[in-house]
Amino acid sequence: MGASSAPIPGEGVTDQPVEDFFSRHRNLLLGCVSVALFLALWQAVFLVVPFNPLFLSKPSLIALALMDLIASGDLAHDLAVSAVPFSYGFAAAVVVGVTLGALMGARARVGYALDPLMTIFYASPLVALAPLVVVFFGVGVSGKAILIFLLSVFPFIFNAAAGVRTVDPLLVNVVRSLGGSERDLYLKIILPSVLPYVVAASRIAVGRALIGVLVAEFFAASEGIGYAVARFGDLFALDRMFACIIVIMAIAVALTQAIRFAERAAFPWRLG
Amino acid sequence: MTAMGDTQTLAAERAAALPVEGGEMRSGRIWPSLEPALLGTGSIVLLLFAWQLLPHVVAISPGMQLFFTTPARIAVTLWGMIESGEIWAPLRVSASAFAIGLALAVALGLPIGVVLGRSRTLNAMLDPFITAFNATPRLVFLPLLLLWFGLGLWSKVVIVFIGALFPILINTYEGVRNADKLLLNVVRSFGAGEWDIARLVVVPNALPYIIAGVRLAIGRAVLGVVVAEFFGSEEGLGVIMVRAASSYQIDVVFAGVVVFAVLSLAMTSSVQLLEKRLASWRPQTAFDAPR
Repeated sequence: MGASSAPIPGEGVTDQPVEDFFSRHRNLLLGCVSVALFLALWQAVFLVVPFNPLFLSKPSLIALALMDLIASGDLAHDLAVSAVPFSYGFAAAVVVGVTLGALMGARARVGYALDPLMTIFYASPLVALAPLVVVFFGVGVSGKAILIFLLSVFPFIFNAAAGVRTVDPLLVNVVRSLGGSERDLYLKIILPSVLPYVVAASRIAVGRALIGVLVAEFFAASEGIGYAVARFGDLFALDRMFACIIVIMAIAVALTQAIRFAERAAFPWRLG
Repeated sequence: MTAMGDTQTLAAERAAALPVEGGEMRSGRIWPSLEPALLGTGSIVLLLFAWQLLPHVVAISPGMQLFFTTPARIAVTLWGMIESGEIWAPLRVSASAFAIGLALAVALGLPIGVVLGRSRTLNAMLDPFITAFNATPRLVFLPLLLLWFGLGLWSKVVIVFIGALFPILINTYEGVRNADKLLLNVVRSFGAGEWDIARLVVVPNALPYIIAGVRLAIGRAVLGVVVAEFFGSEEGLGVIMVRAASSYQIDVVFAGVVVFAVLSLAMTSSVQLLEKRLASWRPQTAFDAPR
């Protein structure tokens, strides 16, 4: 959760005048303890409850399956296959979304004209178009990339528009009256105020893009990490399915946390 | 996390909307106040027209015609489905999964959010799980849920539940954390316990956050229903759409998209109306930036 991973300076340690190791890393330690506790409990519960490998797996088996998948190279192959459409779709979403959003933010009329339309698209479950995308573009890279693009473009549009609208006109006038060039205007005023919004958008968009990967690969694919989850599920190979799920979770967390970290490092004034 | 990003965007949009409103009031003419609405509906109408006229302008090969449809045909198909009543049974199936999942998410997300907002220790302990589950696309659990719950109602309910839980939980948590410290101290000085604090200060204060969370949750829940029905279900509107897509009945697919979109928009905007009404009696907070 936001506030806990970004402790407000001074809070949380107020009743502890001397900062020892425990109080400084309290949240992190508690988190590790609870994860370890959860895994231990999961493993231990099968000492009491009979273990049915077709219904549930246990951490030790999952770890073995994960190492097996890594060693055989299957995991790397599936991830590489899924990464290609992901990067195409996401890159296209950034380019198109930021351009369109900036236009909507900078020109009021364009904003009026496109806002309702984009809101309808954003609010409607675009995943519902997945069967059509598959019918139109097939199950290869292009179909997946288009689905990922469709799902992840809207956060960029809305946030870029909002970012451009919040550019302080006073600052623009200051640069102009002090004789700044257009380049100064863009590099020193507009970019710094829009960029935080775009980065925030990418955090939302990453999650939606991952949904796109999974939907496309569940639907019809012969390789890829989403396909791996579905296939191991069909085969009742629960240990390997859990291993894939955990890999996807790890990737999702790593991507979102990396963006949060970048946000905090690059735009410390926008602590959120 | 996502919820937070969305609230940020929201605040920015509200802030950005301010000068426009001021401008309207000053000029006092009709055109500036009508312009946004006219341009907005105009672009939608234009898009529909262009789509409708496309086959008259560009020759579409017979092969492509299989994949092509026009707004008029979609409307006719949709009307036919409504009139013949064949839409209601699957819609009821989808709606019940949606309603049960969302109700469970509210019933669990609210108390957990309040508890996490009040207890630092519990929050630190649950944080890794919440972060991980919130960042992960819910869909990844679908094959597992199909194994556990089968093709029926309950795997859908669980997908909807997992999707809707986190926006509600996280927004409740944020609302609780932002409760006025002064009010907390006042209530506590008069001898209130944790229950009274929650009832008198924390929950009323967090209400706008909670409703914003519900609004986000509705979107995710609709998404959950659609996706769950695409992959593992025997009845429901999503199932109808997948079957139609595989037999090239493109109008039926679009009709389904329209139904889902209209329902989703109707529900989110009614919650938004509720948000505004509730915000009107509230004293100003950072969340409801002056408007």
